[in-house]
Amino acid sequence: MDYVLEILGPMVDGSLITIKMFAIVIVLSLPLGLLVSLLRISRFKPLRFAVGTYIWVMRGTPLMLQLLFVYYGLPFLPFGGIMLTDMQAAVFAFTFNYAAYTAEIFRAGIQSIDKGQYEGAKALGMTYMQTMRRIIIPQMIKRVLPPISNETISLVKDTSLIYILAMNDLLRTTRAIVQRDFDTTAFIVAGVFYLLMTLVVTFVFERLEKHYAAYEG
Amino acid sequence: MDMKMIEVQSVYKSFGSLAVLKGISLDVAKAEVLAIIGPSGSGKSTLLRCLNRLEEIDKGTIKIAGQILVSDVDGVSHYAPPAEALAICRQTGMIFQNFNLFPHMTVLQNVMEAPMTVKKVKKSEILPEAEELLRRVGLFEKRNNYPSQLSGGQKQRVAIARALAMKPDIMLFDEATASLDPELTAEVLKVIGQLAEEHMTMIVVTHEMGFAREVAHRVIFMDHGEIVEEGHPDQIFSQPKHPRTQAFLNSIL
Repeated sequence: MDYVLEILGPMVDGSLITIKMFAIVIVLSLPLGLLVSLLRISRFKPLRFAVGTYIWVMRGTPLMLQLLFVYYGLPFLPFGGIMLTDMQAAVFAFTFNYAAYTAEIFRAGIQSIDKGQYEGAKALGMTYMQTMRRIIIPQMIKRVLPPISNETISLVKDTSLIYILAMNDLLRTTRAIVQRDFDTTAFIVAGVFYLLMTLVVTFVFERLEKHYAAYEG
Repeated sequence: MDMKMIEVQSVYKSFGSLAVLKGISLDVAKAEVLAIIGPSGSGKSTLLRCLNRLEEIDKGTIKIAGQILVSDVDGVSHYAPPAEALAICRQTGMIFQNFNLFPHMTVLQNVMEAPMTVKKVKKSEILPEAEELLRRVGLFEKRNNYPSQLSGGQKQRVAIARALAMKPDIMLFDEATASLDPELTAEVLKVIGQLAEEHMTMIVVTHEMGFAREVAHRVIFMDHGEIVEEGHPDQIFSQPKHPRTQAFLNSIL
């Protein structure tokens, strides 16, 4: 027990990095994903194609590769490379990767809404933007909560990939402790930490689902 | 009252190779109630949906309250610019067979939504009006319920209140009672009847022949994308001239 208390300090510090990464990425990637999903169903074909390509690349290559490319590759771009700190690079890669996945979930949600909703709104004189904002997107959110909850929980755990940029998140800190002390207790503590974090996420989504359960449809 | 609220001239509309409207022309005067009857697939719903641009026509002219929604330029339909077309269509309200209420909003919110979002009316202004409209359709007590908690007839009455909240000059009813049980149909028809008494201009696409006969000033029988016969309800229902009208009325009565 004393040992656990001893390693707790650095592990909490590692968790804070994990939580910070998670929080920034979720706040950025959900709105970006929504925007991407709207562009994906736009009437403008070149735009649909461009967004489709973006989603293909993001889902078709490993997140790890994207992370490495953003951090090590971007500085060497031919026309003015971009040098990012490890945190910036990680946030950048994760946000664009997760936005691609959530965009497809949002798109499926939007397309599951009955055509009659658009017609009802149009017959009342609402523009396309008003219809999306007031009628379609609010209903879509209710339907996509379960899959978005999945993605969000995945993100909590996927943040551990940033060890590759030598960022001291929870998992990298844990590994360092295990290698230093030849004691695997830290793995168990890390597992408990991840479970606590995902528990909070699960709780938040359960509350959201309850909130939206007020109506059927 | 001779003013024309709706003028439709030689309107053509196809879905792919299927011609749905084959040169439809009709006028509706202010405060007139026009009933359109006919077999399914006759194009009557499509015609109605063209009047508020839920469908776009291929050829022809449509004027709403004297304003040109779409005109014919060298045989091709030419719509008014988007903002103008939207403003023209806002003079119509439409009621659908499937209600199309917004399920995530309460009854009251459904009624207030369009005035607040489209016309930017303040909530404090629209609230008493919305409550009054709900009283008129007999659903004030249900104002805080969600649509899923209502019967079909109640839903349709909310839909009517919601459309009226935009203060339309013309109401379009697209088989408003087709998915309702007979006893629920009656309560909706009563509300439509009240609107007729208040001199609302209306086009009612319906299977309710009794209602058409009672409320409509004029009846149009459509078949295969054409207007086959039109006239006073008594004439159409008692002494239809065209064999297709006779056959249709015989088949349903």
